[in-house]
Amino acid sequence: MQADQNLDCKGLSCPMPIIKLAKTIKKMNSGEVLEMLGTDPGSKTDIPAWCEKTGNFFLEQSEEAGTFKFYIKKK
Amino acid sequence: MFKKGVLRELFDSMFDKSWPMWVGGILLALMNILLFVIKYPWGSSSGYTNIGQNLFQILGVTSLGTKVPISLHAVALLNIFVVVGAFVSSLFSREFGIRIAPVGELVKGFVGGALMAIGATVGAGCTTGGFFTGLAALSAGALTLAAGFMIGTFIALRYLLWEMEALPKISMGKSFTFLTGSGKKTGWQRWLGWIMIAVVLFLFNTYTASSSGAMKIIGWHVMIGLILGMILQRSRYCIVRAFREPFMTGEATAPVAVMLSILIAMIGFTVIKYFGVGNAGELASRAIEMKAVYANFWLRALIGGIIFGLGMTIAGGCAVGTLWRAGEGHVKLWMAALGFVIMAPLSKGFIVPAVKKMLPESMQKQMFLPDVLGYTGAVVLVLLILLLWYMFAKWNEKTGKFSAL
Repeated sequence: MQADQNLDCKGLSCPMPIIKLAKTIKKMNSGEVLEMLGTDPGSKTDIPAWCEKTGNFFLEQSEEAGTFKFYIKKK
Repeated sequence: MFKKGVLRELFDSMFDKSWPMWVGGILLALMNILLFVIKYPWGSSSGYTNIGQNLFQILGVTSLGTKVPISLHAVALLNIFVVVGAFVSSLFSREFGIRIAPVGELVKGFVGGALMAIGATVGAGCTTGGFFTGLAALSAGALTLAAGFMIGTFIALRYLLWEMEALPKISMGKSFTFLTGSGKKTGWQRWLGWIMIAVVLFLFNTYTASSSGAMKIIGWHVMIGLILGMILQRSRYCIVRAFREPFMTGEATAPVAVMLSILIAMIGFTVIKYFGVGNAGELASRAIEMKAVYANFWLRALIGGIIFGLGMTIAGGCAVGTLWRAGEGHVKLWMAALGFVIMAPLSKGFIVPAVKKMLPESMQKQMFLPDVLGYTGAVVLVLLILLLWYMFAKWNEKTGKFSAL
């Protein structure tokens, strides 16, 4: 998937990934896609929940060797 | 690991996906009631203090030390086996991994832990013993403690948002992740989990084989610690979130889960206290009634709560949240635990006596709500407060009036 923005949250634990995600999305344009990396297992549920709450689109999630990759499209 | 079958299905249903937080809330409340029946309801900070005192004892600072070794301190062992339980459960669910955050985050972990130690010793309780258990035990101080958590969390969250703008470097930089559990070659993780369970069973057996009642009680703390740790990790149960989320994302999931826990624990505790379960004598029943009622109403708990709220929000986990996240491998929370352990005896030795002396008696009262309102009045009061909190959380979830993100 092609991303317009990248955000690295590897090593960070709750609540830092969500705070960073919110800040990054705020600065993006509508329709742009963010690729986010993280290692906190909590992110697997937190990020889709945050997207649903805020109306942004949670596109995809994958995992490789303990690193989670999320794609989020700004509403 | 198993042939695909009913056992494997059972295992996967427990460890493939996280449990809803409210499920954790119910189970934790039941475990807390069991702890009360066995000896004393759930607390955590006094365990940290004991571990710290043992550390100072070993270092030769006997004035801050203790003669009670960790192996005989029920709460210290409960803490340790919560870490073990979370470790086992994260191994089983392939969520374990040693995650070293950037240096700035590690420092925040340590500072947050030290603040929690000061808050818990000054306020006579943390989010678990003072608030979750305390409120369920109808201790008046739990209410002002909660008000303090709210204020502290609000301020610290403002700090985190400010830090993100003004000092973004703190949460950036090199991070490392080791021994993670995803992918195919991770069979060893589940085997290690089973080995850990065997070790806990062995210890449980060793303690409970003793003829001493005190040793049997300690053995049960080892076992319940393991179970608590597993429940906490599976449901990602987090009291910080209960206080923080309304001000952050506005989600009401965590507050509702914590309310449910308190509600269920309160029913159990009230029955235990009302009937003096465990003892028949009049004096003994009074002692049971006053369990988990702390001498901190009102200002003492408020001050402690604010400091603790600051600490838990910066660290990203309260006393118990720190334990289970440490077990899952977050090094930031290892630092928080270290800060807590080192600071708790220092605070107990130097800060608490000064605070106790400074505050008038009327601001650090040991108040059991039923003594003032009767059992019915006390339970109704707590129910009303939970209901108001529920309405606020749900209203805020819809309107986002208090949410920053």
